[in-house]
Amino acid sequence: MTPLTQTADVAIPELKPMQQRLLVAGAAGGVLSLVGALLDTTQFLQSYLMAYMFWLGVTLGCLALGMIHQLSGGAWGVLIRRPIGAASRALPLLTLLFLPIALGLSRIYPWMNADLVAHDEVLQHKHVYLNAPFFLARAAIYFIVWNVISFFLNAWSLEQDRTGDFRFARRMQLLSGGGLVAYGVTITFASFDWMMSLEPHWFSTIYGVIIMGGQGLSALAFLTIALVWLSRRAPLDRIVVPAHFHDLGNLMLAFVMLWAYFSFSQYLIIWSGNLPAEIAWYLHRMETGWRPVAVALMLFHFAAPFVVLLSRTVKRQPELLVKVAAAVLVVRIVDLWWLIGPEFHTGGIAISWMDVVLPLTIGALWLVVFVSQLRGRAILPIHDPEFDEALGRIIERGAPPRTAH
Amino acid sequence: MKTPPTVYGLMAEFDDPASVVAAAERAHREGYRCLDAYSPFPIEELTEAMGGEHTRLPLIVLIGGIVGCVGGYALEYWTQVVAYPLNIGGKPFHSWPAFIPVTFECTILVAALSAVLGMLALNGLPQPYHPVFNVPRFALASRNRFFLCVEARDPLFDLERTRRFLETLSPREVSTVAD
Amino acid sequence: MAESLQPVEDPNRAYVGAGTPPVIAPGHTFGTVTDKISAIVLTRRTPLGWYAGFLLAGSFAFLLLVSLTYLVTKGIGIWGNNIPVGWAFDITNFVWWIGIGHAGTLISAILLLLKQTWRTSINRFAEAMTLFAVACAGIFPLFHTGRPWLAYWLFPYPNSMSLWPQFRSPLIWDVFAVSTYATVSALFWYVGLIPDLATLRDRSQSRAGRVIYGMLAMGWRGSARHWHRYDTAYLLLAGLATPLVVSVHTVVSFDFAIGIVPGWHTTIFPPYFVAGAIYSGFAMVLTLAIPIRAVYNLEDFITMRHLQNMAKVMLVTGLIVAYGYGTEAFISWYSGDKYEGFVPMNRIFGPYAFYYWLLITCNVIIPQALWFKRVRTSVPVLFVISLIVNVGMWLERFVIIVLSLSRDFLTSSWGRFAPTFWDWSTLFGTVGLFVSLLFLFLRFLPMISIFEIRTLLPEAKVSDE
Repeated sequence: MTPLTQTADVAIPELKPMQQRLLVAGAAGGVLSLVGALLDTTQFLQSYLMAYMFWLGVTLGCLALGMIHQLSGGAWGVLIRRPIGAASRALPLLTLLFLPIALGLSRIYPWMNADLVAHDEVLQHKHVYLNAPFFLARAAIYFIVWNVISFFLNAWSLEQDRTGDFRFARRMQLLSGGGLVAYGVTITFASFDWMMSLEPHWFSTIYGVIIMGGQGLSALAFLTIALVWLSRRAPLDRIVVPAHFHDLGNLMLAFVMLWAYFSFSQYLIIWSGNLPAEIAWYLHRMETGWRPVAVALMLFHFAAPFVVLLSRTVKRQPELLVKVAAAVLVVRIVDLWWLIGPEFHTGGIAISWMDVVLPLTIGALWLVVFVSQLRGRAILPIHDPEFDEALGRIIERGAPPRTAH
Repeated sequence: MKTPPTVYGLMAEFDDPASVVAAAERAHREGYRCLDAYSPFPIEELTEAMGGEHTRLPLIVLIGGIVGCVGGYALEYWTQVVAYPLNIGGKPFHSWPAFIPVTFECTILVAALSAVLGMLALNGLPQPYHPVFNVPRFALASRNRFFLCVEARDPLFDLERTRRFLETLSPREVSTVAD
Repeated sequence: MAESLQPVEDPNRAYVGAGTPPVIAPGHTFGTVTDKISAIVLTRRTPLGWYAGFLLAGSFAFLLLVSLTYLVTKGIGIWGNNIPVGWAFDITNFVWWIGIGHAGTLISAILLLLKQTWRTSINRFAEAMTLFAVACAGIFPLFHTGRPWLAYWLFPYPNSMSLWPQFRSPLIWDVFAVSTYATVSALFWYVGLIPDLATLRDRSQSRAGRVIYGMLAMGWRGSARHWHRYDTAYLLLAGLATPLVVSVHTVVSFDFAIGIVPGWHTTIFPPYFVAGAIYSGFAMVLTLAIPIRAVYNLEDFITMRHLQNMAKVMLVTGLIVAYGYGTEAFISWYSGDKYEGFVPMNRIFGPYAFYYWLLITCNVIIPQALWFKRVRTSVPVLFVISLIVNVGMWLERFVIIVLSLSRDFLTSSWGRFAPTFWDWSTLFGTVGLFVSLLFLFLRFLPMISIFEIRTLLPEAKVSDE
């Protein structure tokens, strides 16, 4: 039996070659994207924004779930603490990857167009908020907040693993309390800035909440895939039991329902009010060629995963659950495509090869960081104060506990 | 002890949950099938010890939910589109977004009613009379004692042999349950 | 959803390092918990304090009866609402009471699904609180219709006029949501009571007690097969009650958000109303639990752990509510719509500014004290904060409802609202009714779920090595 204190690198030799392969894939994708950027810059930026928001969602979703777990506890989080940490350590990379958006502001956001603003009273009113310097300053604040939270949580978690000092757990709890508040505020404004302002006349107070729900769902789906992968290898193969997948499946179900709840609430309120300033956003997405995408989202972002995840069997079988999680990640991208795309292609659906290449490219680079962060540490937080309560019994016995019900 | 006119079964009393689970397991292994155990709180292991059982309740609730969902939407559709169409604020007769809340409430209502009524029906409750209550000490089954009852309708049941068997499980007491 | 690794959390053990108190004081057995909780109900002598309290609460309930009788004879003109403020105290009180009810369902259903064992000591009376709060809430829209005896028109039934309810109206959604909520809460509560009613039946010394509790227990005998189905049903009910409780306050928020009145029509309303409901509900549970545990010496079961956890839930939901206020204010400005932009101005500087600032103080500023552990562990301070939040949440609904109606689009149709004696008497009357019902509950039914407490005891474990 491999001791639990071993780093993931030693326990799982596949990680190193995997990281190299991902790097190659990322580089190839990067070249391809560069070609795309030269051929059609606007399309590149549109696809880039979508891909960026998706991977930012996975990252911040993991960060937020990690902070929630610090405060709430529970067996589900102890097992995925390390993947959560590794994912949130992709934030420096994402900070760097924000550059193309910052450089392409004028091609992405209509409020950058001085002519348009000059002839629009509402946009003039908003100019105090929607202007390039302030936009970039706000972005800087968001990145500082996220990076600082992620840095200290990971550093303290590492220290705790090394020293076994429970004072670090207390510190992480305190930071998580404040960190969640900071996350809520920053992601709300980030979603207003980066996505809602694509249609600068439109506004919706629930928008930030919808984005948060989507990030939580993306993160859970990703973590499920990561845990399934890890559970097929030492040392987690003797620790992970169906009940753990069941917990993650239930959380995924909850987030699927939350996403539907937030999205439907927004739709029903705006549809009923039918005010010109508000309904236009939906007209662009539901009364144009984009309508089938809206219908597909109802079916595959809500109805299908909801029904499938009600099943106990699916949630307890990693082979099935991992497929659901992968499908959820795909519809998450489709959702972002539907939120962003209609601003660039008002006539109807337009899909570019870059809509496929860019999520994969950013994903490959992101995964390089994820894997490299995973490698350097033990795969389980063995000095977590909850470790014994959550997993101690299983490890002592060396066999899965009774899980029948 | 005098033998009562008809016997419902034999009942052994235990002090703690672990003993009653062990006893139920032994009795099941011995071949007894008409068994029931009584406890002051739910013990998962107890049902398993007696051979386990799958309840159809989730299926009943699922059907209830589907009936409520379809019924709620059909009610709205029929009244708003077919029976008495009214133009309200220029909204279409078939305003599906506005029909969702009531459909949802109907789903939950019928599913919840199915859960409770289904549970009661499957358990055969309310049941005004049951022989186990004839044992005076059975009143403690709702406080801190655990009981295992081997019923007389079990093919292996024999007043003497079953009693001797139950005595080997080190119960606090074995009593005959009059029908 | 039942299982996870057992035990995720040993309720009798404090968390390592955190110094958290246990859920049940050590030293209890199946017998002692049964006796201690059931004795409160089965005692022959009713404490004098109970009579005094019931009489006081009952006199307020009587005031409600007088107010409603007068209302029915005179019409709702005895209240202060009039055009343009057509909704005032009535709807404020309705939303306030419904919101209070939500904590009961949250504690009994959501915390059950999340395997939070600490819920067990407080879920029974929190659910009772839900039922009584929903009853109080129902009174307001019912009597606000003006002709409550025709309220059945709200339900879809074939009638001689061939008229059907108008299902595109959020007010009809409300009828369905609130009546479903009342029904499911009652079912949940009753199902949870059945095993304890059997305990009371078996332990009651009086014939009347045995007969009444016996009938209510429906012949429950604790059969293992019954428990198995019972557990399944209870979990399924919890799974159904969780989205239900969210939907109820969502529908309540639709009562406002579906229309286009500035200050009402905003998309954040559903989640923010739900958070506000839980916020006020937990405040009310604390307001009730703190005196009850002291009077009935239930510190062994309602421990500091419970109070601290509830304080934390209040802190979280309070922050979500504050998030709602903040986003709403920002978007009012950001929208560039002058009516929307006027809403925060009217709240901050308008004629009701005092109430707005009082609301911010009660709901946002003072509860930040809950960040500090010393505050969360001080029972008197928690009690005071819970009272403040109760007031704050009432003010929140008042501000939303009355301020928006008093000044909407047309300056010429602006107006003011001032409550009359009958507005106040109806509000305090429902408080009296609520407390009276609670007194009856405490006297006749076990306020803590006995059988669930038994499962928390160390001796309840079967396969622990």
